[in-house]
Amino acid sequence: MIHYRNIHKAFDLPVLAGVDLQVETGEMFAVFGPSGTGKSVLLKTTIGLITPDRGDVEIDGASVFFGGKGALQAARHSVGFVFQNAALFDSLNVFDNVGMGIPEDELARLKRPEVARRVGRVLELVNLDPSEVMGKIPSELSGGMKKRVGIARAIVGRPKILLWDEPTTGLDPINAAAVERLITRLSQELEVTSILVTHDVEGGLDMCDRVAMLDGGRLRFCGTPAEFRTFPDRVVRAFVDRAAAEAALDVATEFND
Amino acid sequence: MPNVIAPLAAWFAGFGRGTQLTLAHAGSLGRLFWQICRVTVQLKVSFRDVANQFYIMGIQSLPIVLVTGALAGIVTSQQGGYQMTSIVPRYVIGSLVVETVVLEMGPVLTAIVLVGRVGARITAELGTMVVSEQIDAYHSLGRDPVALLAAPRVLAGVIVLPLLVGIANFIGIIAGMVTAYLDVGLGYESFLYGARLFWHSWDLLYSLSKAMIFGLAIPLISVHMGLLTRGGAEGVGRTTTQAVMFMTLTILILDALFPPLMLQ
Repeated sequence: MIHYRNIHKAFDLPVLAGVDLQVETGEMFAVFGPSGTGKSVLLKTTIGLITPDRGDVEIDGASVFFGGKGALQAARHSVGFVFQNAALFDSLNVFDNVGMGIPEDELARLKRPEVARRVGRVLELVNLDPSEVMGKIPSELSGGMKKRVGIARAIVGRPKILLWDEPTTGLDPINAAAVERLITRLSQELEVTSILVTHDVEGGLDMCDRVAMLDGGRLRFCGTPAEFRTFPDRVVRAFVDRAAAEAALDVATEFND
Repeated sequence: MPNVIAPLAAWFAGFGRGTQLTLAHAGSLGRLFWQICRVTVQLKVSFRDVANQFYIMGIQSLPIVLVTGALAGIVTSQQGGYQMTSIVPRYVIGSLVVETVVLEMGPVLTAIVLVGRVGARITAELGTMVVSEQIDAYHSLGRDPVALLAAPRVLAGVIVLPLLVGIANFIGIIAGMVTAYLDVGLGYESFLYGARLFWHSWDLLYSLSKAMIFGLAIPLISVHMGLLTRGGAEGVGRTTTQAVMFMTLTILILDALFPPLMLQ
């Protein structure tokens, strides 16, 4: 279980103002909200990429921020993070990029053919042909392929939790739908807890067991997709309507292109 | 009265902000240096990464360093020849060229060249990695960017710069000697006689010590500034410009601190 306890974070202005949230083990959970409401910031606090000004995150009862450096490292080993733009290392090829996802001490014990087998297996899991992509550097890959390599890097370390930061942003509707199917399949096959930050409200509602909405740095809603669809709060309704309009515009633009 | 207080208050506020910023940079640089020392002692730095940086900083910089060193020797020799005609013996040009190149021109010009060629590149590279979340990705994978990115660059800088300065000094002296022969007809033996007159072995140690400190300062500042980058492509450009200014100023300040410390 992941427990966000009273998370506060301000940069120039407050971004998160006391967020309390629990995500159960094995659950697939989506976080929605308008731009700038701190969704990605909340996700990044999970493994200390951003340190909250106040509050704490607990993973299976262990504090991430007050459990010492060992606790932070342990949290990072148990979590796979899929970044918005994949964040692949420019100077490394796909093999080395994905290999980086294997914990350092484990990687030191493995021989190169074993690493290659493991990297090849996760590349196949994300529907990429290892023989085709392993030697390529990120600049030689398409946007969709980069996302898949980023996902492969996140899962190669066999994490218990997967964090997805806007995994479909920047993809065309066909690729976005393929990545959404991949997220659902991987979360089920790998039996992991998934937290998904997304603008794609309909996609998130279809995929997830529970959803939450952030607004003004606070939790506006937390419940099942069915409850979200009928939640009467005007801010939630306005957000859903706007998101639906934007999604329709994206599809129309893609169709015209 | 309020006309006096307002500008004074603004000046003190600006001074306070400047001091705060300087102290923040100094603290952050000190912490980065300590982290680099720690991962180096713990043998967490890959030899391959250091060798790779050595190639980028050293071998790839060699042509521009050779040109700079040669020009430094040529200009010093020409100016020496112009200023010393008929006043002092011409063989003093040998001493002037050797001492100027070894003590000052070699280390400082090589460092300034490396600020532009290596320092700016490191800041832009790491800055891009920050804004594209690659540094976050290292952290998320439990890897230490200091061991993987910062330490190899700083270690390579400390090794490379004394070597480059040694080469620049040598080329500068040879170029100065040839120029003195062509310009004022000073024979090679007279040039070397003059060079030996005021030469101390300590001068070479001074030159290489300067180079080592510059070799530490350039990658340390460029890594530090790169990791501070915020705000996309514009932020990378802004931070790189600031880093070049910061490094150049630091080189010149360190250069001014050396004579009282080592030439007394």
